[in-house]
Amino acid sequence: MDISVTLFGGLRHFLPAGSSFNKCSLPLEEGERLDALLAKLPIPAEKAYIVIINDEKVSREDYAEITIQSDDKVVLLPPIKGG
Amino acid sequence: MAWQKQILRVNLTTSNCNIEPLNMEWAESFLGSRGLGSKYLYEEMDPAADALSAENKVIFATGPLTGTMASTGGRYTVVTKGALTGAIACSNSGGKFGGELKNAGYDMLIIEGESDKPVYLHIEDDKVEICDASDIWGKTVWETEDLLAKKYSDPLMRFAGIGQAGETLCRYACVVNDKHRAAGRSGVGAVMGAKKIKTIAVRGTRGVHAKNPKAFYDIVNSVNARMTDRDEMSRDGTLAMIDVTNEFGSLPTRNNRSVRFEGANKLNPEAMHTPNENGHTNIVTNHACYGCTIGCGRICKIDPTHFSVKDRPEYQGASGGLEYETAYALGSACGVDDIDAATFAGFICNEYGMDPISMGGTIAAAMELYDIGVIDENTTGGIKLEFGSAEALCQIAELTGKGEGFGADIALGSKRLCEKYGHPDLSMTVKGQEFAAYDGRSMQGMGLAYATSNRGACHLRADPYEHDFETTDTPGKAKVVAESQRDVAFIDSSGLCLFPGGCGWGMDDYTELVNGACDGNWDSQETGERIWNLEKLFNLKAGLGKKDDTLPKRILEEPADVGTGKGLVCKLDEMLPEYYQLNGWDADGVPTKETLERLKLG
Repeated sequence: MDISVTLFGGLRHFLPAGSSFNKCSLPLEEGERLDALLAKLPIPAEKAYIVIINDEKVSREDYAEITIQSDDKVVLLPPIKGG
Repeated sequence: MAWQKQILRVNLTTSNCNIEPLNMEWAESFLGSRGLGSKYLYEEMDPAADALSAENKVIFATGPLTGTMASTGGRYTVVTKGALTGAIACSNSGGKFGGELKNAGYDMLIIEGESDKPVYLHIEDDKVEICDASDIWGKTVWETEDLLAKKYSDPLMRFAGIGQAGETLCRYACVVNDKHRAAGRSGVGAVMGAKKIKTIAVRGTRGVHAKNPKAFYDIVNSVNARMTDRDEMSRDGTLAMIDVTNEFGSLPTRNNRSVRFEGANKLNPEAMHTPNENGHTNIVTNHACYGCTIGCGRICKIDPTHFSVKDRPEYQGASGGLEYETAYALGSACGVDDIDAATFAGFICNEYGMDPISMGGTIAAAMELYDIGVIDENTTGGIKLEFGSAEALCQIAELTGKGEGFGADIALGSKRLCEKYGHPDLSMTVKGQEFAAYDGRSMQGMGLAYATSNRGACHLRADPYEHDFETTDTPGKAKVVAESQRDVAFIDSSGLCLFPGGCGWGMDDYTELVNGACDGNWDSQETGERIWNLEKLFNLKAGLGKKDDTLPKRILEEPADVGTGKGLVCKLDEMLPEYYQLNGWDADGVPTKETLERLKLG
């Protein structure tokens, strides 16, 4: 099965080829954890971002604990400043 | 040193123009621009005076780095007592006017008194004249600039002035320079309108000199190399933020009834860059201010078939487009998801000289008054002022610019409008100034920053973004807000822009540039704290106090409806006492004697 992941702002640079403006579809195995899903995106380790799943912000220390479902709404936000 | 060491003082009552030496003792304590302009204002006027009286002054203040080769070194600040707020107004702008004023030889232009007839100021280096403006009074900002540019036939002459909104004393009239950059907030344009000064035309050829040009050149290059993360800002501008806040749940929507807008995807960078069904693309290009290596400005065109500009070719050209704050104020705040309508309303703000944040916030409040039946079409002159109505937004924007019909009520600002119609709680303001594009419930630090901002609700007086996106828990936010208010005050006073801070620069980079251009070893926290406290002292003398360091009832009592902060109100009471204590202020928010002595303000 697949899951749709949305990357906003400058994170769009790291969308796989063939993605739409800010969304990509990633393969998801049953019981897959968030850290494994994120590892499928070519985002450099030093690049900071915020993960929101179904309107809940996820702490980085929980990435390895959270199981992803195919209908989860996964969004990655860059920590940008305002203007 | 990068100061010009002289100021130009223009008295409109006596028609005298004098060049005076800059007070270098003050410059060495308050740096320039916002800080130094505030020092002059504090020393020279009674803060309790009416903002629209002859006693008020308007100070156009550059910083030591304005006009230098430093990236983003084109900023200037309009310092005055705000017509919207009654508080100190330090309204910052980019474009090319600030660099030109500095190159004309002035750190500051101080305008005082008031004229009995419309005038404008013409400056070419040390040639200064007060000119009759009877033929441009009543013209838009754009018409005025075109007429004077033609008159003087100098393509490098720069202009900063008001449109009809300033003339008619719209409370949030702004000063527009270079047609679409603005000292936008707090009603600084209304103060110019009250003094009957239409615009300032300036041309400068003197140059700006750092203390050691070669060393400064090397510093500029090395600091520029550290601006490593600017591609996103160049491509999407500040508008990139709309997706972040919408997903996070902190995008104020329909007068802060909600924190998420279902139409945000029609206003975001994707919408701006993607051709519509007619093949029209909103964005034309990006735009950079004087000396800027980012280029966050948007230059946009409205679809010529859109109802707002159909058969109106004067609005079909390219001009300053939506940025994040305007997309919020003229979009989500009013529930409008029509990018062309919001762009048009933004054009109108630039053309007539109005702060789009305050205008949008006031229209949003009026839409809520309409929604709950307090006002109706009889009040609005037949306009169906419904949330989401792009037509109503465009109609009311033009009326407000002209000060006609119900637009005269919108020109009052949200606070006065809501008081007039008996619902002051519906005004989303602090100290009378409309919220920027962040909700203080899901962004608790921003709530504290709004409440304590010396110029009223503002997103550019502190930098709590990173902490707010990290957590909604309040511990630590008072410190983040207090310290970042000082950093921002320092940057604003340097003549540089805040945005390199989001593109890779840290405070050390700003400080290195200031030290490279000026004599001295500057401490951003100490200087910024001194400036912040001086602004606070002005406000206290103007009659503002702890009662004004608060937020609207909606933000304090009605929980956020969706997003990461769902169920939260702003816990201001948990943060404010610590914030006062960290600033060295007493429980009423008044700087203690020890604090003032430590900062050499005693």
